[in-house]
Amino acid sequence: MVGGFRVIHLVRPFLAFLPEVQSPERKIPFREKVIYTVITLFIFLVCSQLPLYGIHSTTGADPFYWMHVILASSRGTVMELGITPIVTSGMVIQLLAGSKIIEIDNNVREDRALLNGAQKLLGIIIAVGQAVAYVLSGMYGSVGELGVGNAVLIIVQLCFAAIIVLCLDELLQKGYGLGSGISLFIATNICESIIWKAFSPTTINSGHGAQFEGACIALFHLLITRTDKVRALREAFFRQSLPNVTNLLATVLIFLIVIYFQGFRVVLPVRSKNTRGQQGSYPIKLFYTSNMPIILQSALVSNIYFISQILYRKFGGNFLVNLIGTWKESEYSGQSIPVGGIAYYITAPSSLAEMATHPFHGLFYLVFMLGACALFSKTWIEVSGSSAKDVAKQLREQQMVMPGHRDSNLQKELNRYIPTAAALGGLCIGALTVLADLMGAIGSGTGILLAVTIIYQYFETVEKEKASELGFFGL
Amino acid sequence: MVGGGAPQRGSAAATASMRRRKPAGGSSSAGGGAAGTMLQFYTDDAPGLKISPNVVLIMSIGFIAFVAVLHVMGKLYFVKSK
Repeated sequence: MVGGFRVIHLVRPFLAFLPEVQSPERKIPFREKVIYTVITLFIFLVCSQLPLYGIHSTTGADPFYWMHVILASSRGTVMELGITPIVTSGMVIQLLAGSKIIEIDNNVREDRALLNGAQKLLGIIIAVGQAVAYVLSGMYGSVGELGVGNAVLIIVQLCFAAIIVLCLDELLQKGYGLGSGISLFIATNICESIIWKAFSPTTINSGHGAQFEGACIALFHLLITRTDKVRALREAFFRQSLPNVTNLLATVLIFLIVIYFQGFRVVLPVRSKNTRGQQGSYPIKLFYTSNMPIILQSALVSNIYFISQILYRKFGGNFLVNLIGTWKESEYSGQSIPVGGIAYYITAPSSLAEMATHPFHGLFYLVFMLGACALFSKTWIEVSGSSAKDVAKQLREQQMVMPGHRDSNLQKELNRYIPTAAALGGLCIGALTVLADLMGAIGSGTGILLAVTIIYQYFETVEKEKASELGFFGL
Repeated sequence: MVGGGAPQRGSAAATASMRRRKPAGGSSSAGGGAAGTMLQFYTDDAPGLKISPNVVLIMSIGFIAFVAVLHVMGKLYFVKSK
C-alpha cells in the first residue's frame, strides 16, 4: 500500500479485545468431541427458539425471508442474525485478499493472526450494523413504540448472540468438536425445515376443506378421506402453495445426485521419498471446494437483497435504485418479493412454467448462478490455502513425491487438476442448485445442496475420526 | 486392520495404516480443506482474549439465562406500569 502502510495493520489495536478460543493442548478424544458438538447444537437450538426481549412485533418487512433457512436464523428470536455476520465478513475478507487490496503473506505468522482478527472484527461490526439497521428500520416496531432502552437492549442481545455464534464456531473448528459451527447450524436448520414440510401436522384451510401442511401426512389424509382416489393422488402430488409429494421426491433425488457426484475424484499417486515402497494417493475431488461457492453466493445475494430493499423503501423511483431492484408485497405471506431490477434476475424462477414465460429471467439466473459459483470456487482455493502451490508445499513437507515427476514439477502437475476441479466443481454445484430450484425441492436449491454436502462432510469427518482413533489404540 | 497371524503381516499392516493415514492427513488439510476450514482462514493461535471452550459454553448458557430472566422480569414488572 502507500508508503509501507497496510490496511490490515488497522486491526492490530483491536486484536487484544477479540475473543479467541484456546487451541486444545491435547488430542480431544472422539467421545468428547461429540459431547462438545451436541452441547453447541443444543445452545444453537435454544437460541433459535428464544424470543428477543423487548420486541413488539415481527410484522415489519423482512429482507431475508427466504434466506432464513440457509443463514440459520429464525425470525424474532435471539438468532435473528444467524450466521450472516460471519459469512459476510468471510466473504468480504476473501474478496479483499483475493483482489490483493489487502496484501497478506501467508508465511508470516503475524499476518495470519491479523487476517483472522480482521475477519472477526468485521463480523462483529457487521453484526452491530445489522442489528442497528434492523431496529431502526422498524422491524420490531418503530423505535418510538419500543422506547430507547428496549431498542438498545435488542441491539445488545443481537450483537452478543453474534459473538456467541462466532465463539461456538471457533470452538468446533479448533478441534474441540466435529466440523464447523457454521455448517452444523446450516444443516440443522435445513433438515428441520425439510422434516417439518414433510411431516408437519398443521392443518391449513385451502379452499375446499382443511389440508395438512406436511406432504407425507397430506398424501395419506387425502387418500383416506377423499372418495375419488385418483384425484386425491393428483392433489397430493401437485397441490400448489403447500409442499407436495413431488417436491419431496425432488428433494430426495437431488440428495442422491449430490451424493453420487461426491464420489467423483482424480486420484494422484504419491510416493514417500524416504521409505521405499510406501505408496499413497492424493485424491482431488470434483467438489474440491465443496459447498463454499454456494455459501458465498447466498451471502452475496442476501446482501444485495438487504441493501436493495432498504434503498427501495427510502428512494423508490430513483433510476439507479430501481435498477438494483424493485419490490412488491406478496398477497399470500405479506413478504416483499423482488419484481424487477437485478434483485429479480438473480432470484430463482418459481417453476419451469415461469421460466418458459420469462426466458430471459431464467437464462440470466442460470448464467449468474453458474458464473458466480465457478468464480467463487476459483478464488476460494487461493484464499483458503488449498491452491496448487499450497498443496505442493504440503506434500513436500510430508516428503511425498509423484512418481515419474521431478520435485519441481509437482506444482505444475497439481495445477493441471486443482483449478479445473475447483471451477468445474463450482459449476456443477451451481447447476445442481438451479436444477433443485426448478424441480421445487423443499428448502430451496441452495439449502438442499448445502445440507447434503454438509452431511456428507460430517460422515467423512466421523469416519476419519473413528479410523484415527482405531489406529491410535490399535498400534 | 484386523490383527493377522503371520509375522510378515506386521509390516504389511503398518504400511496399510500408513497408506490409510497419509491420504487422510492430506485430505484433511486440502481435499476437504477448502471447505473443512469453512470461513476460518488459519487456526493457529492469534494474540487475543484467550478463553477456554468451557467458558464459551458457560457464556452462551449465561446469555440464554439472561434473556430468559429479562422476559420473566418484563412479564412481572413492566406489564403493570402500562
